[in-house]
Amino acid sequence: MNKIVVEGLKYKYPLSETLALDNISFSVKEGEFIGIIGRNSAGKSTLCQAIVGLVPHFYKGAYGGKVLVDGLEVKTHSIADISLKAGMVFQNPFTQVTGSKMTVYEEIAFGLENIGVPRTEMINRIDEVLHLFKIEHVKDHNPFDLSGGQMQRMAIASIIAMKPEIILLDEPTSQLDPGGSEEVFQAVQSLKNQGITILMAEHKMEKVAQYCDKVLLLESGKVVDYDTPEVVFSRNDLDVFGVTAPVYTKVCQALGVKKKGADTYPVTLKEAEAALKEMRR
Amino acid sequence: MKSISLYVNRNSFVHDVDPITKLIYIAFAILVPIIVPSFTISFICVGISLVLLAFAKVLRKTVPVFSFVFLVLITVVIIQGLFKPENETVLFQLGPITMYQEGLLFALTITLRVLTIVSAFMILVLTTKPSELVESLVRKGMSPSIGYMIVSVFQIIPEMMAAVSTITDAQRARGMETEGSFFVRFKAFLPLMGPVVLGALINTKERAMALEVRGFNSQVQKTYLYEEKTYAYSRLIRALLLLAIAGALVWRILS
Repeated sequence: MNKIVVEGLKYKYPLSETLALDNISFSVKEGEFIGIIGRNSAGKSTLCQAIVGLVPHFYKGAYGGKVLVDGLEVKTHSIADISLKAGMVFQNPFTQVTGSKMTVYEEIAFGLENIGVPRTEMINRIDEVLHLFKIEHVKDHNPFDLSGGQMQRMAIASIIAMKPEIILLDEPTSQLDPGGSEEVFQAVQSLKNQGITILMAEHKMEKVAQYCDKVLLLESGKVVDYDTPEVVFSRNDLDVFGVTAPVYTKVCQALGVKKKGADTYPVTLKEAEAALKEMRR
Repeated sequence: MKSISLYVNRNSFVHDVDPITKLIYIAFAILVPIIVPSFTISFICVGISLVLLAFAKVLRKTVPVFSFVFLVLITVVIIQGLFKPENETVLFQLGPITMYQEGLLFALTITLRVLTIVSAFMILVLTTKPSELVESLVRKGMSPSIGYMIVSVFQIIPEMMAAVSTITDAQRARGMETEGSFFVRFKAFLPLMGPVVLGALINTKERAMALEVRGFNSQVQKTYLYEEKTYAYSRLIRALLLLAIAGALVWRILS
């Protein structure tokens, strides 16, 4: 079943001359994990915001086409309605702290209070996400006193606690060290296994290749490609779009080693290892 | 993080009383001395507040506030004692300075009024978390947006101050002079405040979006993480306080 359907979406920010999103069409099935890639200002954030309804409700501006989120048409529903279906984590963890709560624990509760989750359920969910993102030890700290990485994990935890069916993450690992990024990807993976649909704008291609089912490549507001990581990263014109393939793909490309029985290059360490061992034999 | 709230975390029955009861107490402590204009009543009200502050173990925290208030009140005493137009009865003379009884009594009334108000508010401010106060008002029907505005000020202002110091350091690192004569400081003001204000505006936009996606404008009935704070005797206390205000009114109308 299609969870998100985008048809001919066009959008222009107020006071802007050019289209930020230009005739975008794609659909996402329930439980899929989609990576959105492309250079800075290609439209990744705008696309994410168009799915939760910030575009056009928050910004206004010229809007065309149709976005359906779990059957709700974004244009005709309020952000509050859509936020029950789709949650979004933004790039900057600092501005996602509400500023009205004194502890991390209360901060995560903020969204749950707004959507009317009963108290016992609320406490269960908070404990669960604190554990999932390994921030239990700071639950009584002031949200502003956290490190960048902890704050980012708290921001993701706050959205995930609201249990949306769709989660959009806009560069959620920008402040995290490699270990922290890996933890976030694994947590997201476990959400995917629970059947949650995930869209993530991300620049760490190795991670995208390893975890995503499909990759959406954007360039100046247009969809260039929407396919499996193997197909997208095997393209030989990636640098035109400001993207570099995972290092494993580049090595295999240089050596001319393709995946066994396919016309694409390996994109993860495991695949590359298998393909190279195969070649040595 | 530095907090700009005056709340002091202690264990006492005053801390346990819910914020609404404290608000009613403030109304009581302000209204009764106004309705019943007698020194005894005013003294009693100040006395009750001070005893409650002592029980809450925050009496020491009131010293800076009271000393500031006294500074203002001393000028009132001097000016009223010397120059009130109704001054007739000479109380004492110090060289050319004459103190009059009417002025001093009037100054005493003002002093007591101010003290009742300040001490009653101090109970609320020193023993109640701002977030708790706002939450109980939101439960009573105040708009959550207004509640958010009030509470967030306590955190956003210190954050902005932190941003100012970061920007000051950054500008200094680029060689800008921020210390020295008034003129030097004034010249440094614009390059410091520009980024702070613009940054705050951008942050506000992003924060507004983050609040939206967390259902801040949701029409659903809100729930709360914490159970409403109730004090065993708060109904009794509220009833007594309201009764005292009503009693004072009746006394005033009848006499």
